[in-house]
Amino acid sequence: MFASHSLLANKLRTFLSLLGITIGIFAIITVFTVTDSLENNIRGSIESLGNNVVIVEKWPWAFGGDYPWWKYMLRPTASINDLEAIQLNSKTAEASAFRVDTKKRVQYFNNMVENATISGVSADYNLVSNFEIEQGRYFTQLESDNGKNVAILGNTFQTGLFSPGENPLGKEVKMFGRKFTVIGIVKKQGESMMGNSMDNQVMIPLNFIRNILDVRAETNEPYIAVKAKAGVSNEQLKDELTGLLRSERRLQPGTEDSFALNETSVLSKGFDGLFDVIGTVGWIIGGFSILVGGFGIANIMFVSVKERTNLIGIQKSLGAKNYFILLQFLSEAVFLSLIGGLLGLLVIWIITLFAGDAFGMEIKLTLANTVLGLTISFLIGIISGFVPAYSAAQLDPVEAIRQ
Amino acid sequence: MKRPLILSIICVIGFLWVVITFPGVFSPSVKKLGVFMPAIYGLIVAATFISFIGVWHLKRWGMELYVISFFSKMLFFVLTKSFEITSILGIAFSLWFMITYLFFYKRMDVNL
Repeated sequence: MFASHSLLANKLRTFLSLLGITIGIFAIITVFTVTDSLENNIRGSIESLGNNVVIVEKWPWAFGGDYPWWKYMLRPTASINDLEAIQLNSKTAEASAFRVDTKKRVQYFNNMVENATISGVSADYNLVSNFEIEQGRYFTQLESDNGKNVAILGNTFQTGLFSPGENPLGKEVKMFGRKFTVIGIVKKQGESMMGNSMDNQVMIPLNFIRNILDVRAETNEPYIAVKAKAGVSNEQLKDELTGLLRSERRLQPGTEDSFALNETSVLSKGFDGLFDVIGTVGWIIGGFSILVGGFGIANIMFVSVKERTNLIGIQKSLGAKNYFILLQFLSEAVFLSLIGGLLGLLVIWIITLFAGDAFGMEIKLTLANTVLGLTISFLIGIISGFVPAYSAAQLDPVEAIRQ
Repeated sequence: MKRPLILSIICVIGFLWVVITFPGVFSPSVKKLGVFMPAIYGLIVAATFISFIGVWHLKRWGMELYVISFFSKMLFFVLTKSFEITSILGIAFSLWFMITYLFFYKRMDVNL
């Protein structure tokens, strides 16, 4: 009661003293929220590539360290011959597919989407990539083999090209100056930091696109995705692929590989290091902000004890125990700190409501970060409030009343 | 009883230790252990800080709280398998603190 009365009587002082904690909690939980959201988004994008998938391409994926690009640039790109060699001879691969990308306009009557990613994919692409068909179906073997003019659209095309409620299946869209029948719509995946969301992509059969594009041109980013059989490790698959591709490309023993076998684990590990650094930097900055906030609370609690010395003396002379005085001031400090922390969390929550749209990805204040914010506030309240509270509890009643 | 110099030194080291280790409560490594792990570890750190205040004022509860928080911390490290080489230095310091406290325990105040 005394504590709440004191807090309410000095509203501005109370607000200013808890502002330190608010800023501290805001700083640290904002960093954690942003890094967690970024991490979730990137991990989701990496997982969509598949954990047990090996990507055969020209450039190796690497983070930091020595990267001899001058050697890699002389390598040939992945080819359809490589894919055929894998499909014919591999014992460890469950499925493999070739993919090549280009950017073109997609048109449906007067509606058009400029600069859409058009992917030419081989028959088994649906077996090596993680996506779901929401409406319609994937290419049949015949459509893939014959390179029929059929297309599977990403989810954004449904709203970008067609009227609300209009069924896109069976409609004809125009790409490369030719008409394609829509046979499927991919389930919405959301924005991806890695830029590999299927929402903005159109898939067409590889055997169609190879008549229009040079599928070995580096600008079209050709690659082969190979999925391991159940029970086969990526290492076993990579060993076999190395042998098959060296043989296909007729590489002499002792010469370096002219291809890279990339795994999504390389990306995960690379991002692990990055997120550890971001998390640690945020932790250090936020940690010191919190400490400064704690000193603010301790300072105001000392002032509060000094102001109410007389009252403490009266309380003790009326029989109040030391622990009662201690708890009175300690609860005041914890309350102040918790209110500061809650304000900080509230500001973050409000920002997350708008930030998601601004950054094009979902930013969420998680339960773990909320619990962490409240925990830090509570602990700072205890640590910064204990010394003033204990000094108040130790006061001699006679001396205290005289002041 | 006047506070012995050795206890003053221990308390000053302890206060500094808490200031340095407090940000560790919400470090990414503790956060990865689980949602409530920072809270549990934080309570142990706070209890350690309070125990130093008790020892500073030559109170028996200070030493008792220090021993409880020390064993709680050990239990936390063992259960979360987060024991590191640097923890050995902390254990060595804590054992030195506890042995030193024992010499003065009987002369300490039993009240709050």
